[in-house]
Amino acid sequence: MTDAMALVLSGGAGERLGVLSAERAVSAVPFGGKYRIVDFVLSNCCHSGIEQVGLVTQHVPTSLHDHVGAGRLWDLDRRAGGILILQPYQTRSQSGWYRGTADALAQNWDAIEERRPERVLILSGDHVYRMNYRALLQTHRDRRAVLTLAVARVPAAESHRFGMVTLDRDGRLLTLVEKPEHATTPYASMGIYVFEYEVLGELLRPRPVDLVHDVLRPLLQSGERVYAHEFSGYWEDVGAVGSYYHANLELLAPEPRLVLHDARWPILTRDEERPPVRVFEDATIEDSLVANGCRVHGTVRHSVLFPGVTVEPGAVITDSVVMADVTIGRDARIDRAILDKCARIGDHARIGVGTAPTDPAHAWLEGLTLVGKDAHIPAGAQVGRASVIGIGAHPEDFASSTLAPGTRTPNRPWFQERS
Amino acid sequence: MSSSRYAFILAGGVGSRLCLLSERRAKPAVPFAGKYRIIDFTLSNCVNSGIYDVGVLTQYRPTSLNRHIATGRPWDLDRTHGGVQILQPSLGAIDSDWYQGTADAIYRNLAHLRRRRVEHVLVLSGDHIYTMDYNELYGFHEANRAAVTVAVTEVPEDQTNQFGILETDEAGRIVGFEEKPKHARSRLASMGVYLFNRDALIQWLVEDAARPGSRHDFGKDLLPQLVQRGEPVFAHRFRHYWQDVGTLDSYYQTSLELLSERPPIDLGNPEWVIHTQSADRPPVRFEHGCRVERSLVANGCRIAGEVTGSVLFPGVIVPKGAVIRDSIVMHDSVLGRSAIIDRAIIDKEVEIGEGARVGFGDDQTPNRGCPEHLSSGLCVVGKGAHLPDNITIGRNARVGAHVTRAFFTADVPAGGVVDGPESMH
Repeated sequence: MTDAMALVLSGGAGERLGVLSAERAVSAVPFGGKYRIVDFVLSNCCHSGIEQVGLVTQHVPTSLHDHVGAGRLWDLDRRAGGILILQPYQTRSQSGWYRGTADALAQNWDAIEERRPERVLILSGDHVYRMNYRALLQTHRDRRAVLTLAVARVPAAESHRFGMVTLDRDGRLLTLVEKPEHATTPYASMGIYVFEYEVLGELLRPRPVDLVHDVLRPLLQSGERVYAHEFSGYWEDVGAVGSYYHANLELLAPEPRLVLHDARWPILTRDEERPPVRVFEDATIEDSLVANGCRVHGTVRHSVLFPGVTVEPGAVITDSVVMADVTIGRDARIDRAILDKCARIGDHARIGVGTAPTDPAHAWLEGLTLVGKDAHIPAGAQVGRASVIGIGAHPEDFASSTLAPGTRTPNRPWFQERS
Repeated sequence: MSSSRYAFILAGGVGSRLCLLSERRAKPAVPFAGKYRIIDFTLSNCVNSGIYDVGVLTQYRPTSLNRHIATGRPWDLDRTHGGVQILQPSLGAIDSDWYQGTADAIYRNLAHLRRRRVEHVLVLSGDHIYTMDYNELYGFHEANRAAVTVAVTEVPEDQTNQFGILETDEAGRIVGFEEKPKHARSRLASMGVYLFNRDALIQWLVEDAARPGSRHDFGKDLLPQLVQRGEPVFAHRFRHYWQDVGTLDSYYQTSLELLSERPPIDLGNPEWVIHTQSADRPPVRFEHGCRVERSLVANGCRIAGEVTGSVLFPGVIVPKGAVIRDSIVMHDSVLGRSAIIDRAIIDKEVEIGEGARVGFGDDQTPNRGCPEHLSSGLCVVGKGAHLPDNITIGRNARVGAHVTRAFFTADVPAGGVVDGPESMH
């Protein structure tokens, strides 16, 4: 039991995940063959003895709510404390969409106040890592800090993705530079903060918008005790297609950096109630993660298969992420693609064909092909690389059976009439 | 909803023909089909049929079963009204004693019917693999105005001596009932699934309890009596898959049938989910160079070697060069490099040394300790056993639970026995 309340920021629009987060919060995007991204943070809370968690939601939260429920999976279904959904709400005088991270906290301060924590631990719901927050909180107490940031060493080439911090010898924070092209320090802020409760309350009073620009930076400049806690384990922000894909496929390495099978630190998630994986006579599976409920006839190489995927005879899946209940038809070929839940790939269809376009508009896809949830790819269709097939696409969206690399098809609502 | 139907599940039997698998756990708690326990099928049948008020009668080695059922959450049986309750033998009441037979076990728990406003009482066995909608049984029972309805299934002629066999007239009324007959007059076997009118059941159990010479068993005493007396006892024919995995051979066969092209039970049927405790394991890791064919492999397994025609429970580790053929390997058992397992049942948490061979050679000498249960070529290794490197274990051999490497002085020949620190044999 700790005296900290965790606030998990899960409200962002997640545009960089494209069709994967068009109809769900980034935190609810499936990851690692059976989990949702938010499972990592919630499991960290559970294993770190944090019993009060607020989940800040705004962008299409339904599947996140479905998944988190009453928080039972993480022992957060409690008589007192436990999980609290912090959604945007209206008052008589204003409509309260969250304008930014700090605004989201400020608007919910009364709910946080009722729990009276000593410290507030601010987390992002878009990161995958295993971290014992007890150590972070200990550093914070030892340093008698008003704010402690978790920091990680990152390669110099990646400093442009992060807020980079410089530290003195005691680990006290000197400067913070957002996404510099060239950094003079290896330390990146992980977006994980411990605030003294009273201090954060004061800082939120003038209704700041962004946590980094409007809260953290002024605090640093005012000379208050702001410290860093170095985290040396695996940590990844999977809020973009490229990093999401690589983080999934990195689980297939001989010794993956993100350990999923540690019995002392299980990643807790909703049980899918599926039978064991069924591997048929004609199957070949290598270098892959395959979850319960899958039925495999064809070939699966270097891929991640979520529960209930069916791979028909002759189909070949390589270097791909295939989410729950997708069916891959006979002799279909899937290469470097992310297929969202319940997609149906027709017989002999090919996903990821040809060469990806090199123009900047397609750079974010890194040559990957995305197929939206419930999309139905007709038999024999050829989908070029770096294409994005919309949610619920159906055979009529395919004017010709060949889609050039870089093609986009629209999302279709599930209730739209199909002729 | 929860108060209108009630089921007793008999889960206390010794299950001695399952040998090591049920030595330290009740038969309903024996793992099955790569992630389930045998009782999951009956518990799931209950909730999938809308029965949310269940009493589970335990007696033999109940710890593993109690831990599995716990609060009943996977089956939605953790409820304010009804839910699942473990009914253990107890002291303190006038008639308190161990359960003598199946009828006696229910008789000693009649108190649980006192305040339940149910017209019928369903009595089930926790030992069987089948998926059945009990609503059909209730419908049949009411349509026939039966006092008791027995679910029956057709069994092969050479197995009639293992079951309660009954004869029916054209209307489905039972006219003859024999327990494990030498010469059966029909192939209709009782499935151990009985639906009773509540008041009649109470009356009959009280009578049976007082009857001298009764073994207080439904199949041996009570039902034959009722048939003889001409009570309206009906047979409801169940035409789907039903299997009593009572012996090592039937356990093995039933498990391997799940690997066939058309398995007898669809474990992935979304309309009839088999609920069980969740294991919090990552997906299966199929590593570089592995070969897996015709197998069921559960989450948490890591495979770099070869697996064919086998069932692997969560957390089994098969390193490079190791082979599992035509075998069943339970939770968290670990093979050493180049170990080979052929036609064996390996219980949980077994460690198999490098280069060890389990199930080796053509010698089919039946097991020295239990030839009646272990003669078809299967090997059995008990829970937590540690097998030394390079050891060879012949067919029909038995290695007891928690045997350590020090117990082995030489290779184990066909039919051999290595007993553990504590054994029922």
